[in-house]
Amino acid sequence: MKRLEPRHWIFVGLFVAIGCTMLLKIPLEIPITDQTQKMYDYIESLPEGSPLIISFDHEASSLPEIKPIALSILRHAFRKGHKLIGVALYAEGTLIGYRLMQETAAEYDREYGRDYAYLGFRPQYIAAILSMGESLEQTFPQDYLGNDFQDIEMLRTIGNYDDVAGVISIADGSLTTHWIEYGGGRYDVRILAGVTAAMVTTYDPYVASGQLNALVAGLRGAAEYEKLIDREGGGNRGMLAQSTAHLYVIVLIIIGNVAYFRSRRKGRG
Amino acid sequence: MDIGTLVAGLLTLAVLSFLYRDNPVYKMAESLLIGVSIGYFLVVTWESTLMDTMFEPLFAGDDFWLLLPLLLGLLMFARFGRRVAWLAKIPIGFLIGSGAGVAIPAMLYARTIKQMSATVVPLTTSSGWPDISGIVVLVGVITTITYFYFSREHEGVLGRSAKIGTYFLMVFFGATFGFTVMSRMSTFIGRMEFLLTDFLGLMY
Repeated sequence: MKRLEPRHWIFVGLFVAIGCTMLLKIPLEIPITDQTQKMYDYIESLPEGSPLIISFDHEASSLPEIKPIALSILRHAFRKGHKLIGVALYAEGTLIGYRLMQETAAEYDREYGRDYAYLGFRPQYIAAILSMGESLEQTFPQDYLGNDFQDIEMLRTIGNYDDVAGVISIADGSLTTHWIEYGGGRYDVRILAGVTAAMVTTYDPYVASGQLNALVAGLRGAAEYEKLIDREGGGNRGMLAQSTAHLYVIVLIIIGNVAYFRSRRKGRG
Repeated sequence: MDIGTLVAGLLTLAVLSFLYRDNPVYKMAESLLIGVSIGYFLVVTWESTLMDTMFEPLFAGDDFWLLLPLLLGLLMFARFGRRVAWLAKIPIGFLIGSGAGVAIPAMLYARTIKQMSATVVPLTTSSGWPDISGIVVLVGVITTITYFYFSREHEGVLGRSAKIGTYFLMVFFGATFGFTVMSRMSTFIGRMEFLLTDFLGLMY
């Protein structure tokens, strides 16, 4: 058996810190940030039955962070009675998006074809975004289940972006940027996003310029949204563990810096 | 426990075993992930691209113009033959030309014009006080751009401005690192939640 190195003890410490705090189940008081509130207010302000495109622009690896965000936004939109059109611009997000929509629609007794539809995946995301701006039917002649576009009741009145209230991109990478550049820039459709925390600094300039209308970011954003819709989920449950993990990383950074400066001083001596 | 949860739990543990050291169990899980991802991607692409948008409409006799992109696509494979390799330049040229034509105006508008106009903000509030956030944006943009100005040596005013620019860049890198740590921790917490609830049943 190999002798444990310092990095192994760091991992063990992280396991113990996160595991223990998850078992404790202490709820944290989470203040709502402006951007999460904006997303909530926008969905809330739309008249019942407004069509919204939900674009699942993520891969399976980011699911632990993306799922709580997607679930809380979908729950809110279904609860308000909006008509949701699901699409996927990453192949890996296709089935995940369908499952998430199915799961949340069932919670609110929403019916496929009448209250929501899932159009599936189209490759070449820029071409797909531009094509949807011309005609959703031409881009997706059939839905994910193989039904013809015109056979789906709620889609008969949808031509292109002019007929939807906005696009919500659920993303773990830079795909929302393409929605902003091509969907928002060229077709003037309102773009909102739910993204992983790692992407916040990428999208902040777009939020500041008003090109991105709302941004729900990371597990923290999911926890805020769950609070707004008064429905506990993965975001809320993970917040104490995340705060503990952050404190743990801060302590490690301080210890590392102190050790570095001490060793440097010793070296000089 | 259903078979899906059992497989997912065991694979999660297999991946986490890398934290101790590289081992065959981790390698197996990694290879499985790559294989399944590529397989899934190929099936989805075949179904939703080639079948839905190419072969089905073509065989139904709906749109013979589809032969043109099909031909261009097939010409890509000309690269494998030495004598006909030049034919691949036709679809590549088409891709580069159309791609640049579509991207340049959109990116100029969204990334340059709109972003520049967002930095033109009032430097005072409606009550006449200095608007700190507006001033920070202005100073940040100017000093960071001077850092990337390489046509003159960074001395004097330019040097001092570039130096301030590096501090803004460091704040950006720090924020990005912090958010990335947050993101990775969230992923780990998600897997821990799965292990503790669905897999081990220690938490409900």
